[in-house]
Amino acid sequence: MNLRLVYLHRNLTRNVRRSLLTCAAVGLPIMIYVLSMSVVHGVDKFLDNSAKQLRIVVTQKTSIVNPLPEGHRKKIEALDESKQRLTSVCGVQWIGGQRENDPTPLSVMAADADSFVSTMPEYELTQDEIDAWQKDRQAIIIGSGPAGQLGWKIGDRVSIVPTLPPYRAMEFHVISTAPKAPDNQSIFFRKDYLNEELKKDGFPEGQVSFFFVKCATKKDLDEFREKIDAAFAGSLDETRSLDEKTFMNEFIAQQFDLPKNLAILSGLTVFVAIMAAMNTMSMNFRDRIAEMATLKSLGFSGGFAFSLIQTESLLLCSLGGLVGAIVPFVVFTYTPARDFQVPLIQTLVVEWVTCMKALGIAVFIGLVAGVWPSWMAMRMHVVRALRNLE
Amino acid sequence: MALPLSYNWRNLFVRRTTTALTILVIAAVVGVLSWMLGFWTALSGSLSFAQDQHKLIVLRQASTSETNSAIPPEESNKLSQLDREVALDPTSGQPLKSPEMIVQVSLPRMSDGGRTRANVAVRGLTDDGFKVHRNVRIIEGRAFQQGQLEVIVGESISRQFIGLKMGDTLDLGYSGNRGYKIVGVFSAGGAPMESEVWGPLTTLMNAYQRNAYSSVVLRLDDKFNAADVIRKVEGPTIQLTAQTEAQYWDAQAKNVRTYLFIVSGLVGVMCVAAAFSIANTMYSSVAARSREFAMLRTIGFSGRAIMVSIMIEAVFLSVIGGLLGCAGAYIYLQIMGRTKDMFGASTFTTMAFEISMTPMIVVYSLGAVTLVGLLGALTPGIRAAKIRVVEALREA
Repeated sequence: MNLRLVYLHRNLTRNVRRSLLTCAAVGLPIMIYVLSMSVVHGVDKFLDNSAKQLRIVVTQKTSIVNPLPEGHRKKIEALDESKQRLTSVCGVQWIGGQRENDPTPLSVMAADADSFVSTMPEYELTQDEIDAWQKDRQAIIIGSGPAGQLGWKIGDRVSIVPTLPPYRAMEFHVISTAPKAPDNQSIFFRKDYLNEELKKDGFPEGQVSFFFVKCATKKDLDEFREKIDAAFAGSLDETRSLDEKTFMNEFIAQQFDLPKNLAILSGLTVFVAIMAAMNTMSMNFRDRIAEMATLKSLGFSGGFAFSLIQTESLLLCSLGGLVGAIVPFVVFTYTPARDFQVPLIQTLVVEWVTCMKALGIAVFIGLVAGVWPSWMAMRMHVVRALRNLE
Repeated sequence: MALPLSYNWRNLFVRRTTTALTILVIAAVVGVLSWMLGFWTALSGSLSFAQDQHKLIVLRQASTSETNSAIPPEESNKLSQLDREVALDPTSGQPLKSPEMIVQVSLPRMSDGGRTRANVAVRGLTDDGFKVHRNVRIIEGRAFQQGQLEVIVGESISRQFIGLKMGDTLDLGYSGNRGYKIVGVFSAGGAPMESEVWGPLTTLMNAYQRNAYSSVVLRLDDKFNAADVIRKVEGPTIQLTAQTEAQYWDAQAKNVRTYLFIVSGLVGVMCVAAAFSIANTMYSSVAARSREFAMLRTIGFSGRAIMVSIMIEAVFLSVIGGLLGCAGAYIYLQIMGRTKDMFGASTFTTMAFEISMTPMIVVYSLGAVTLVGLLGALTPGIRAAKIRVVEALREA
């Protein structure tokens, strides 16, 4: 046993450069894997929250850009008078928006004041915040993302110019920065305030971009998704209802389909690492044919040769994998890079679970890379091998 | 004197396994690289055809796109203050101004047999529109007639969405109940407008119950600078906002550009890994051939010639791997489909384009990978050049 360890150590250090290059050639792809998967998981987590909330998103049938009348809310609520299955309906009007003299786009939405809190429980507003939202017509909840970027805090008076009517600066009072909300980009304020401002300038009021309908169970969601569309079929304002996850996913897929592309990329990158590690192991084997043959002629078993090469391959790749997994974890957890924002998704969080998975993949790479040389070593015919040298 | 190339070529076959594995590493990296370059080229290619510096898109103040802008006709009249700056129509002598309205229609994609849909822009315009958007040409059928329920479709979307063929009827209108007949297909020289449906302004405004334009597009007189005119549009007398065509489309591609930037970073890291892999291969090759090199030195080849020779071998590896990678990306695109469409950041409408493996992309990919090969072979090459002749010959 001891001999094996010594031998292993010698093998790894006898060509330090080669070992280091291999570690790097495995470590870098592992790093890419960790980063890609972190983005993919970020998207998944975002979508999973959407699914968990059991909400239906109701939009206008022909295009999400076309508004629906506010009155649809009453008709949707009427589908379940008991409020046991459709627990809460909240109309939302998207108005985009930006700060004055700052082109950075904000995602600002006006929501029904009375049902926002019950429809979006994942915001976990405190009682004080809920009171402020209900009392103050100009209350606004700024997602933690833009709040951090713009330096907006609770109690601030802020001004936002909507990209849609009324197209002029509106004043708000920040009542929460929603630190618990999984969607940290959205900004919500009260729809009654928007309607009032629209009326002042003579714009049509009472329009809704989409309704969030919170359901009690998954079964209710599936059932009412169809019932809602059926209720408005044939009317002037037909609807298209989707569960929130599908709705969000359509947005993501239309932009670049980052999750799909990154998944393909990380698959290829693991392939690169396997090839690179295999290359090293086959070069090592080639250099050590004579040695292996000598070992076997001295009476060491084929199994010994097999395990020697296999462990070396495993160690090399795990070492590379370890570095490749730890570096992004440290960089995106403890350095300023942790604030890195991916549009639509939010901050990039490198979870240790992803790193452990990556490490597992590194071990797998080591196994695969060592298979061929160690098999050859085990089956090697001593006399033939010694004779073939030079 | 340089070593013959056939020497390098044959060397690749001496250590077949290593050569093959290195080539596969490079092929995978180049495959991703060329796909990404293809995406990038297609996107910026389309945007580069929308660089008309004398086409000004006037929007509502604070609006970021035509989708969320509204200019009532009476307000658009204020633009008559720009009559000096706007180019004149040579036939009628009127200033070239095109009031336009944008709405969306959700259409099924051809690439997945209509399973998913995307928002396609529908633009209503007057006949002046064709004079302002100079690069638009009808390539099939005819133009729509004002006052009719007729539309023409852009070349790109007609290829990528179901139901956009000549003679088809497209259901438009706020409730999707007005059938518009497709009477023509237009090209915009590859610009993003090829992803739109065009129809008569008045009937479309009526169908969508709109009483405001989305934008007014101006053709500037060549004598005037766009930036100066934009300042005037945003000034106190007009109080609208304006962007040149280039600025407008640039902003729409912002998110996608960030995504491509992330992917580029990761591909960059992959290239470094590939360089390490090549270095590893070349080091091992150099180590195994030290006697050979010593011999070459004794018969008169210089250290430099040997170094160049090592680099050439690395370039061979890179180029073979690179070609394989490009071929892989080509096959991937053939199987998975070359058509892409992308959501504008604030237009909420899609921009269709096609990724193709153009010779330029192959050249760029091979160039990049050759550089990676040279970088990887640099230190092994130096090592080979510095070999101590006598010691190496005495060894083994």
